[in-house]
Amino acid sequence: MTNDHEDVRELLAAWAFGALQPGDERTVRPHLAECADCAAEAARLRETVRVLDGPPTAAPAPASLNGSAPARPPETGGVLALALRSRRPAAAPGIAPHAAPYAAAVSGLQALLRELDGEGDGEREGSGRGAWGTPVVHDWDVRDTVAHLLAADEPLALHLGLDSRLPGTAAAPAGAGPDWADAWALRTAEVIAHEQRREPRETVAAWAAQAAALLATPEARDPELASTATTLMGARLPVADHFTVRAFEAWIHTDDIGRALGIPVPPPPDPHLWRLVHLAVRILGTALGPDAPPVLFAVTGGAEEWVLGSEDEPIRAELVLDPVDFCLLVGGRYAPDEVPRGETGDREAAHAVLARAASLAWL
Amino acid sequence: MRPPADAELRRRLVYGDESALAEAYTAYGGLVRAVAARVTHSTAAAEDVAQEVFAQLWTRPYAFDARRGTLRTWLSMLAHRRAVDWVRSEARHRKDARADDSALHAIPDAAPGPDETVVHRERFRQLHSALAELPQPQREVVHLAYFAGRTYRQAAVELGIPEGTAKTRLRTALRTLAETLADPPDPALERGA
Repeated sequence: MTNDHEDVRELLAAWAFGALQPGDERTVRPHLAECADCAAEAARLRETVRVLDGPPTAAPAPASLNGSAPARPPETGGVLALALRSRRPAAAPGIAPHAAPYAAAVSGLQALLRELDGEGDGEREGSGRGAWGTPVVHDWDVRDTVAHLLAADEPLALHLGLDSRLPGTAAAPAGAGPDWADAWALRTAEVIAHEQRREPRETVAAWAAQAAALLATPEARDPELASTATTLMGARLPVADHFTVRAFEAWIHTDDIGRALGIPVPPPPDPHLWRLVHLAVRILGTALGPDAPPVLFAVTGGAEEWVLGSEDEPIRAELVLDPVDFCLLVGGRYAPDEVPRGETGDREAAHAVLARAASLAWL
Repeated sequence: MRPPADAELRRRLVYGDESALAEAYTAYGGLVRAVAARVTHSTAAAEDVAQEVFAQLWTRPYAFDARRGTLRTWLSMLAHRRAVDWVRSEARHRKDARADDSALHAIPDAAPGPDETVVHRERFRQLHSALAELPQPQREVVHLAYFAGRTYRQAAVELGIPEGTAKTRLRTALRTLAETLADPPDPALERGA
């Protein structure tokens, strides 16, 4: 009987909660009849649950409460209205597929930045006002990183006819000229310096407003309008692809901020992630040129393979990368030697592809 | 829903995918309302709590950490906490009203009754406040067993813990609550501090 006593003792709370396994009752009930100690404990615990259940006059609890599968809730519209008022869905009606990844990335960064507001339940450590000063990348803190995005989105915004949200003398580096990189470095430094004199909230508001304006342009809604190629920051691409580049950069920097804060940022939803991958492969192929040693390139989970470099020689090497790792490599977040990969064949040929990918210097 | 599915749902919530919010509501809206209704005894209050809970999930998806628990228990615990807040603040209003000269008829009470009912209600409030303060590992098991109707074995599987651990946590939690009941009400708690 000693065994029973210990077993039943362990089960009494589950019994009081009505959470026994079928069949346990056969052990519990007879023991309670013969063990005064356990019976007293059982009564005390069950009384506690009874108080938890509430006063007997109370309105009857919904029938679903004790079922293992709660009934389908009555209706969606009313209950979710508050949520949807508080945060708009990323995919506004009319957004074209080419702009959807950018819309989502903007929404994702806003969600992360909300963790820095210092409001809320305080269940996450390390958040709050001081977190804006957390070092992120280069010599930027969180606010500077958002300011950088504000500057980086500006060339596309200006190209699409939006007004600059920022004072300053440096022209947005829109041109194809060889000086674009210098002009861009100057501009981003200028914008960051400007934003450092403001509250982080103001910087975020300026960035978010520019992003919203970008997503409200006809080019964000009409694939045909977005098919015109233009050179921004040294890259000649259709406007649709420039939107993809904006998404890429917003996500990479969101990931930077998340790492700095110790909050892991999930990768973009798969359809968006693949858009980034496809664009990056295309740009990588162009950057390698037609004379590089041919390398068969694949991304895990994707259906396609690409031959990068020359097409007429036999394949010199094969590379397989995870989509997120590939994006991080292209975003400059991995050294070519360090990125996890499957690699066979000629090491030099494979390394040439990785090194070129890492040097695309998009961001 | 298994934890990997939770992580995927959170990923979509993070990126502002409205359909992920609708899915979360379809899966857990019933539980959230049921928890809130059980604590507030008011359909209208349960509705408000459900609104707040899903607004919190949607506006602050990062507050839910899929590595630290399931979405089911997280939403259930959030609903409970909000519902306890509602009950405390309602109790405060009633006390304020009672302190008022013309108070006796001022508040149309959901369950007006003799002193016994008042005592019942105080104990009920006290116990749910204590439940909301339990350490998270214990609270999770209680939520699954008590609100979501899981057996201790199902709860253990859902939380990825040994069965014996689930039983022990239920026992520790319920004993703590039983002791709360034996103690006189904490005035600070009563003020909702």
